[in-house]
Amino acid sequence: MRRSFDVRGFRAVLYKEVIHVVHDRITLILALMLPLIQLLLFGWAINTRVEHISAAYFDEDHGVAAVQLLDAMRASDEFDLVYRAASRDDLRTRIVSGRVRVAIDIPPNFTADVRAGRQAQLQVLIDGSDSSIAQEALAAATGIGQAVSLELHGGGVPLIDVRPRMLFNPSLRSANFLVPGLIGVIMQLITIFLTALSIVGERERGTLDQLLVTPIGTTGLMLGKIAPYAVIGFVDFLAVLGAMRFIFNVPIAGSVWLLLLLAMGFLIASLGLGLLISSVARTQAQAMLMAFGVMLPSILLSGFFFERDAMPLVMQWIGYAIPLTYFLEILRGIVLRGETMSSLWPSVTAMLALGTALLVVASVRFAKSTT
Amino acid sequence: MTAAISAEKLTKRYGDHTVVRDLSFTVDPGTIFGFLGPNGSGKSTTIKMLCGLVRPNSGSGAVAGFDIEREDDGVRRSIGYVSQSFALYEELTVRQNLEFYGRAYGLDALRRSQRKQAVIDLTGLARYADTLARNLSGGWKQRLALASALLHEPRVLFLDEPTAGIDPVARRELWDLLFKLASDGATLFVTTHYMDEAERCSRLGYIFDGDLIALGTLDELRALPGIAPPGTVRFRVSTHNVMAAFARARSIDDVRDVTIFGRDLHIVAAASVDEARLRTELGPAAGGIDEIARIEPSLEDVFVALTREHGAA
Repeated sequence: MRRSFDVRGFRAVLYKEVIHVVHDRITLILALMLPLIQLLLFGWAINTRVEHISAAYFDEDHGVAAVQLLDAMRASDEFDLVYRAASRDDLRTRIVSGRVRVAIDIPPNFTADVRAGRQAQLQVLIDGSDSSIAQEALAAATGIGQAVSLELHGGGVPLIDVRPRMLFNPSLRSANFLVPGLIGVIMQLITIFLTALSIVGERERGTLDQLLVTPIGTTGLMLGKIAPYAVIGFVDFLAVLGAMRFIFNVPIAGSVWLLLLLAMGFLIASLGLGLLISSVARTQAQAMLMAFGVMLPSILLSGFFFERDAMPLVMQWIGYAIPLTYFLEILRGIVLRGETMSSLWPSVTAMLALGTALLVVASVRFAKSTT
Repeated sequence: MTAAISAEKLTKRYGDHTVVRDLSFTVDPGTIFGFLGPNGSGKSTTIKMLCGLVRPNSGSGAVAGFDIEREDDGVRRSIGYVSQSFALYEELTVRQNLEFYGRAYGLDALRRSQRKQAVIDLTGLARYADTLARNLSGGWKQRLALASALLHEPRVLFLDEPTAGIDPVARRELWDLLFKLASDGATLFVTTHYMDEAERCSRLGYIFDGDLIALGTLDELRALPGIAPPGTVRFRVSTHNVMAAFARARSIDDVRDVTIFGRDLHIVAAASVDEARLRTELGPAAGGIDEIARIEPSLEDVFVALTREHGAA
């Protein structure tokens, strides 16, 4: 039987791969730059300022302060007051049915309270389904409330107390939420593609047979092939993590070292997926299509865009088979909530177990596909 | 003397299709074995089984004394393999390709540099040592492929159509190299479609549709009953109008077989037929005969006859 691992074989393949990678400047530059470019594109697209948010209002006060507030809103770029509700129920129906994003509820004694120097409450209902719109609406409503308050009463404590309430998505996903997720998605993308294409490329050129008649074991061959891409993937991770921290100003609440360590674990799982593809695909075109086939469910079912709890059970199960699902938990946990191993261990264990399983299955399949 | 390569009823099936059926043969050390057959007849599959790349469904084989299934590691250390596709890394230079294969075969640094130099000298690659493999011409790529396969001094060398697509001069030079290797004691297993190459092999095997239908030296093959039936003679007839002579020759009762080779006809006829009779019979139809001579069957005659015989059966 073929010896499973041969260190010299591994080093031989590594020697060749490093030359490949270094010689193929365009691929190397793309592999190192694309993740950063993608993050910036997505990140900025997410951060785009939102204007003309449709709003409905219910004015039970009819006083000067109310009129002034509504005028200020009309004058702003952020809001379009498109509907005047006849009742509080009518107002609620408007926003629940999705016809407006924001509902402004001015209570009966609003002007009287302001005149008397008492804090006047202003209820603002915001549809949180779209985080960027919701955030903008929140900021604008608060800003306008303060400005009007200042005009009416001068300095001191603002008299208009804006009480925002998020509907449908109380946790309010923000760029802070999406950018860390994006890192995971991009990492998976780049590693799967690089590994799958590199190995299938050997098959296509006929060099795989040539490698297999040498004493290099299949394990040494695979490790030698994926090691350079693991390094590239890790450099990419550092770059996009840096961009997240310093360009998008998303602070990392937890331990950066833990994050880096677990990122390596995720890379292993990702490379395993790439390897699995390369054990099945006969041509690079097939490998590309399969990689896309893996990418879409990863993006859709991992919880990157859509709340996993809201998915049908079957979809949630499929999500459990995707390494990205666990890495997103880990990334967001560490970056946003400052979680440590004591609470992350279920995700970490699952991710590493899945990664190891993928790598083993891929190795066995790869060894089989070569004889 | 134990055989360098032996196969015993090797069989490979893909689904219902039997690609190689009960293949048995041996190759003596230090000889060149020519393995011939039409495209798709099972040549490459046979090589891959012997190299351990493809597992046979049944039968057994040994290469350099190692069982091809149980001791495939030993097989791998003893063989060199030059595939049809010149499996080189185009982005690596000649020297880097050799360095890689040297490492792949586990040669230590000193031995690697000695062997690199040796194969570069042998194949004449010195002036291209730092050229990217991609920029080499077909003939030089083939030499590099051969050089890579020789680094670990294999005792057995498998070459799958090594001269396909390279020019006649490069082809001749490559064969000179192969002879040198064989004379140094290596055993070579070569597939080819070129009859002149096949005629230079020590022994030949002819595989047709998965069956090994002929095995032996050139002389042995020529003497096969199907090729030279007892009581027949073989002529080469050179003429201006080959097609007319061909049609006429086929209508002669004592003529058993007629084949066109370029501007010549090869005719197998009853021993009673002689040059004079053919000249009389074919002359008028062909507008004159340039030359008629009795010949031995060429290898091409042998294979045309074998293929026809088995294609009909």
